[in-house]
Amino acid sequence: MTFRVRTVETSAQGREIVRNRDLAGKQVSVGRSADNALHLPDLALDPYHATITLSEDGQIAVEAVGSLGFGHDGRQRRHASIAPQTGGELRFGSYRVAVSQDGDGAVLLTVIKVADADEPIDEATGFALAGKLPGKRAMSWLLGLAVLLFFLGVPITSSLLRAPPNSVTGDAAWTPGPLSLAHHQLEAKCEACHIKPFEAVRDEACLSCHKSSHDHAVPARLAKARGFGSLGDRLQWRVAHQFGKPGPGACSDCHNEHEGAGRMPPPAQAFCTDCHGSLKAGLPDTRLGNAADFGRLHPQFRPGLPLAAGSGALTRVSLAKHPREASGLTFSHKLHLDPRGGAARMTQRLGQGSGLACASCHRPTADGVRFLPIDMERDCEGCHSLAYDKVGGTFRKLRHGDVDQMIADLSVARPASQPVINGRQRPGEFADSGGYFARFSRPAGSVGSAAQALSRGGICGECHTPAQAGGRFSVVPVTQVSRFMQHGWFTHAAHKQETCTSCHAADRSITSADVLLPDLNSCRSCHFGENAPRGKISSGCAMCHDYHGSAMAPQGLEPRRKQ
Amino acid sequence: MSLVQRQTSRQLDIDHEGFLRHRRFLWLKRAGALCLVAIVAYALADVQPRPSGGTWLGYALGTIGTGLIVWLALLGVRKRNMSRGGWSLKAWTSAHVYLGLALIVIATLHTGFQFGWNVHTLAYALMMLVIASGVFGIVVYATLPAAISTNREEMTQSQMIEAIAAVDRQLESAAQLLDRRWAEPVAAALHEDALAVGIWRRLSASQPGGATLDAITAINRASAEESGNPALVRLEALLQRRQAQLARMRRHMRMKALIEVWLYVHVPATFALLAALVAHIISVFYYW
Repeated sequence: MTFRVRTVETSAQGREIVRNRDLAGKQVSVGRSADNALHLPDLALDPYHATITLSEDGQIAVEAVGSLGFGHDGRQRRHASIAPQTGGELRFGSYRVAVSQDGDGAVLLTVIKVADADEPIDEATGFALAGKLPGKRAMSWLLGLAVLLFFLGVPITSSLLRAPPNSVTGDAAWTPGPLSLAHHQLEAKCEACHIKPFEAVRDEACLSCHKSSHDHAVPARLAKARGFGSLGDRLQWRVAHQFGKPGPGACSDCHNEHEGAGRMPPPAQAFCTDCHGSLKAGLPDTRLGNAADFGRLHPQFRPGLPLAAGSGALTRVSLAKHPREASGLTFSHKLHLDPRGGAARMTQRLGQGSGLACASCHRPTADGVRFLPIDMERDCEGCHSLAYDKVGGTFRKLRHGDVDQMIADLSVARPASQPVINGRQRPGEFADSGGYFARFSRPAGSVGSAAQALSRGGICGECHTPAQAGGRFSVVPVTQVSRFMQHGWFTHAAHKQETCTSCHAADRSITSADVLLPDLNSCRSCHFGENAPRGKISSGCAMCHDYHGSAMAPQGLEPRRKQ
Repeated sequence: MSLVQRQTSRQLDIDHEGFLRHRRFLWLKRAGALCLVAIVAYALADVQPRPSGGTWLGYALGTIGTGLIVWLALLGVRKRNMSRGGWSLKAWTSAHVYLGLALIVIATLHTGFQFGWNVHTLAYALMMLVIASGVFGIVVYATLPAAISTNREEMTQSQMIEAIAAVDRQLESAAQLLDRRWAEPVAAALHEDALAVGIWRRLSASQPGGATLDAITAINRASAEESGNPALVRLEALLQRRQAQLARMRRHMRMKALIEVWLYVHVPATFALLAALVAHIISVFYYW
């Protein structure tokens, strides 16, 4: 007896069953094949895998027979030599063979089947997804807390702990939309407007920059005009006030931010017409007519007109009353514009075109919005010369605007029966010789000639209304209005495609008392209300009116329309 | 109504109506009416400057939406506590499905179609994710149970595993007679575990190759004289049985995964949504 093979198995009850089998001979073959002395049924082994030989010198030699090696004390080998006294451990596939010496001197080979590396299958969890994916509960907590941390914890902590010049961090995700162009620099500075947590934006926040914005009207009258509103409005305000919303009449009622980059759209017409549509009801003493929509309900225009000649004061009168203007001048547009009239004949004879046009005298202001006042020296004197004498090559002319000087000049003038010079020019244009032509009555005596000059048909009285001031001759001061619509915006520049006479009936006006402003219906031929039908121009309140009242173009007007 | 009638009607109820058809689509009708009211209000309300969450209608829709979301999320609590009748879990589930779908309309109108990269749209997106995963869940619940049943052929899950194990034991003993050239692929096939695959392989419709299929292929390539070996013939038959069983298990796992996987989105996304909703509401009033 040389070898003793001891197999250790575990019974179903967990008890170890040890069996010994003695083998004669000096060699033990190891393999999967059943005819091996040490039969190890493992598919990972060769049918004849190795031999274990007791050599002459008492050492145990282990040799791999097939192409595979074996484990020896944890290392993969093809040959191994083991002293039985010291012992060693061999590994063949899933079997462990401990080599040692038994008490009677036999070489003891203890065979133990190592538990299968594969985990026993648990059918309940094996088919389910649990374990293959992160748990639902864990994921829920993780995601929920991450969202709360990043989108609530960080910004609120930063907001509460920040030192004032620093901005709040982490609140970029709170913005409901980009700010308008004008407020773009406030992007990422939420706290500039949202000053106190849980408090709606106050007017003070707006006014800290918009210092010059003023109220539309006296607050008390505004409140009265606003009235109580509809049931829905009152309910809304009740709820809004419960949540501490300011208003009605707060900046944020009309001006909404975070509505997208670009210009802030002007408040809708409804914000105006809520009050102005039925203003008379809320404010019975108002002088303003109800205005709900330019196309449907709008009072007739009330331009500021000089009603009393010489006072310089402008009085607002409705065009419906057909007011007469008292500018202090006598002037017929028809006479000057008539293509077959004297003025036209003059320009034709001089080869200066077919006649006078509006632009011959009316020059636009630099911004194109309105017109410059008529300047006598430039616009009239080309034809209506004030020259009254010629000494050599020099003309003597009356000084425009100075009645006393005129009287003095005429008192020493030589009697003249002939025109000083022939040949007229268009206004503003002078002949090479600088010629003028005066069509004044022949001077006859100092006072008398001045009286003649100032009389109707005289050189002054032809255009001016004579007056007596403190016993002295004078003329009524002329009032030229540069802006008739004092509370509404109108720009000529935006109406370039129109002719002058399509709005101003100047070619039919024979007296300067005619108010040549177009009325409401004239404007309505192109402009309709906010929702204009096809072919008309949508014209909300903000096209002409400014809530915060400035002399400039309304804030709400698009830039291209301001020109 | 007599007790008998009530019992009969309840019996019918239980026998023939799923949560989708519960009480002749009662909750579908109610949810539809809610959507209709919201759409009409949105169309008629003249809010300035334009529809958004910050108008009176926006706040109203937002409040309704928040209430719905919280109530819908409570199904997770409710389902752990069964009861019968009008407030049965089935009625509750039916309402959960249809009111959840109505939320698409309510919440979208609440946004006024204003979206951006912010916490508000995050809440909306998470809500839509929850709804989409829920719709997926309804679809698989409606279609897959029949397919699973067909595939199983009245085998239980443990029977499927036992069937594989039985084939494996026979394979192991059959392969003992053969040399390493055949034993190796068989040993590899025995280690192929149908259940030890990740989520993507489980959800994938294609049947992957594997050690079992490789072993079959190797045997098919055997030379003419080898293939006459009866041990090899038996081995191939066993491997084919193993492969068929694996395919059944894989189909079973795929359908089971589909029927389970949506909840792994639905539930965590719901909690993320609740958190985003809290952040949305608080942030709106914090910077009011």
